Amino acid sequence: MSTTILQRPPGLAAAPLGKFVAWLTAKNTLAAGTILGLLILFVGFAAPYLYPVDPYAINPTHALEAPSAAFPLGTDELGRDELALLLSGGLATLIVSLPAAILAFFVGVAYGLASGLGPAWLDKILMRLLDAILALPSLIILIFFASLVTLNNTSLILLLGFISWPSLARLVRNETLAQKNRDFVLATEQLGAGKFYIARVHLLRVMAPILVVNGTFMVGDAIFALSALSFLGLGVQPPQVSWGSLLESGLDIIALNPWWLILPPGLLVFGSLLAASLTGQGLLAKFGGTR
Amino acid sequence: MIRMVTTRIASSSLSIVILVTLVFFMAHLTPGGPAYSILGMKATAASVAQLNARLGLNVPLWQQYFLWWFHLFQGQLGYSYLLSRPVGQLLWQYEINTLVFYTVSIVLSTALSILLGLIQGVYFGRWPAKLIGALQLGFYALPPFFVAAMLVLWFSVGLRWLPASGITNLREANPGIATYAAHLVLPVTTVTLLTVAALSRYFGEAVHEELGKDYVRTAAAKGITFNRILFGHVIRNALRPLVTILGLSFPYIFTGGVIVESVFNYPGLGWLMWRSALSQDYPILIAIVLLIGVLTVLGNLLADLVNGLLDPRARYE
Repeated sequence: MSTTILQRPPGLAAAPLGKFVAWLTAKNTLAAGTILGLLILFVGFAAPYLYPVDPYAINPTHALEAPSAAFPLGTDELGRDELALLLSGGLATLIVSLPAAILAFFVGVAYGLASGLGPAWLDKILMRLLDAILALPSLIILIFFASLVTLNNTSLILLLGFISWPSLARLVRNETLAQKNRDFVLATEQLGAGKFYIARVHLLRVMAPILVVNGTFMVGDAIFALSALSFLGLGVQPPQVSWGSLLESGLDIIALNPWWLILPPGLLVFGSLLAASLTGQGLLAKFGGTR
Repeated sequence: MIRMVTTRIASSSLSIVILVTLVFFMAHLTPGGPAYSILGMKATAASVAQLNARLGLNVPLWQQYFLWWFHLFQGQLGYSYLLSRPVGQLLWQYEINTLVFYTVSIVLSTALSILLGLIQGVYFGRWPAKLIGALQLGFYALPPFFVAAMLVLWFSVGLRWLPASGITNLREANPGIATYAAHLVLPVTTVTLLTVAALSRYFGEAVHEELGKDYVRTAAAKGITFNRILFGHVIRNALRPLVTILGLSFPYIFTGGVIVESVFNYPGLGWLMWRSALSQDYPILIAIVLLIGVLTVLGNLLADLVNGLLDPRARYE
């Protein structure tokens, strides 16, 4: 701590707010992230059974009502129950973004391992290609391809899965290069182990903390990308709703001040992203590694 | 440095060529080609043939593809399918709006990030830094469409302070600069809030790291005051990563723009891209890919140049 000899600005007393912030940013990060994540999963997968109201039932006599006992989160301009729509939209969001994140994770790991363990020429080609993909923002690429294909759950999973893996691939490749000449790997190789064995038994295990942390971040990225696409009308297509498209339909009639159509879907997307971010940061602190 | 720059340009050019090619050919894979996506699936064969002839879609695809590159080198980007105007002219018109919007946002974000990052670096480990850190984490997770929608809800619909959409008031006969500025407030606030969350974190970490270095200790031992060390030496060195990230985020800030511009109906490039994607107006989309690719290259080059000015060592890396 070479900075301690410096004459710092006058010390700050530990205020109550400070104590709260310190509590928030300590190891509770992981716990908070996990709890929030489980809550989001519950909203998406279990809650539709606990609140069995038809989200698509149109009820013109109760159009655009604020939250009440009959409609806990109000109704939209067609008189549909907003809570039921949110729960159905949660399922639609998670059912696409979770598989997409898993697909991206496996593509990224496979690409990185192939690049790191393969011959030098393959590494060179794969890395050039990676640079090319990373040169443009992924949301821009997503918007392009979303405008080209017929949008349904399968195409969205493939689209999100095949576009959000490059940063993980780069990380796995660099880590593979750093690990593959270590003594225990070389020894295994001398004993006759193949590349697949080394990758499976040694490299992936050494990399496990990095993979877990980045996998968590990727779930957040996928939820964000899908919500953004749906918000722009290029994601989950009607009649199916998702958090992004629900927020967008609230925004369409924003002049009527329908806060109950905008705040809840926004908070749910925010909650999902925060859960992924907190869990990832918490795991990162726990493993003591870098992203 | 020249080598690094050429490598960057080469890989970005490669990605532009790959993307343009993919978008070009995939655009024509839609059943019936672009004509059907313009006229609708019920269009008669005669009207499709007529449109194809007018848009130059009746020659073989590979000829259209090479014609596109040929025209590009002549400075032509083709015609929009729906707006029937030259793409170059359209892009320029929308580009000006985006430029105003982003220049203001980036200047504001950078100034705020430096201020917050300084506080975070100097008070590292104490509550001001921790508070800023928690805010960064929170704002970083906020989706731009949510922030934008909430701002409209509070400041336009609720308080009626600011206009909710567009670039100017169409009912005013002769809108002044104040009208334009009022329309910019909410979009700029949205982009600034989200950009600062990421930028200030990088800068704060850099300041903290620099404060721990030997030259700071030496300067302190010589009796130089903390403020002079901080403002005379540390800031300059800590700016390097910030500049690199600003350069890299050049096109990324633009991406946030697609969402923000769509919320506020702000007629910028992001808005144009969004509308073109929804209506499958491919000449515009392809031109925008090209433009973003060029912006990426420029952003990287600019960052390298500024870093070379800030730190002579960076010129030889």
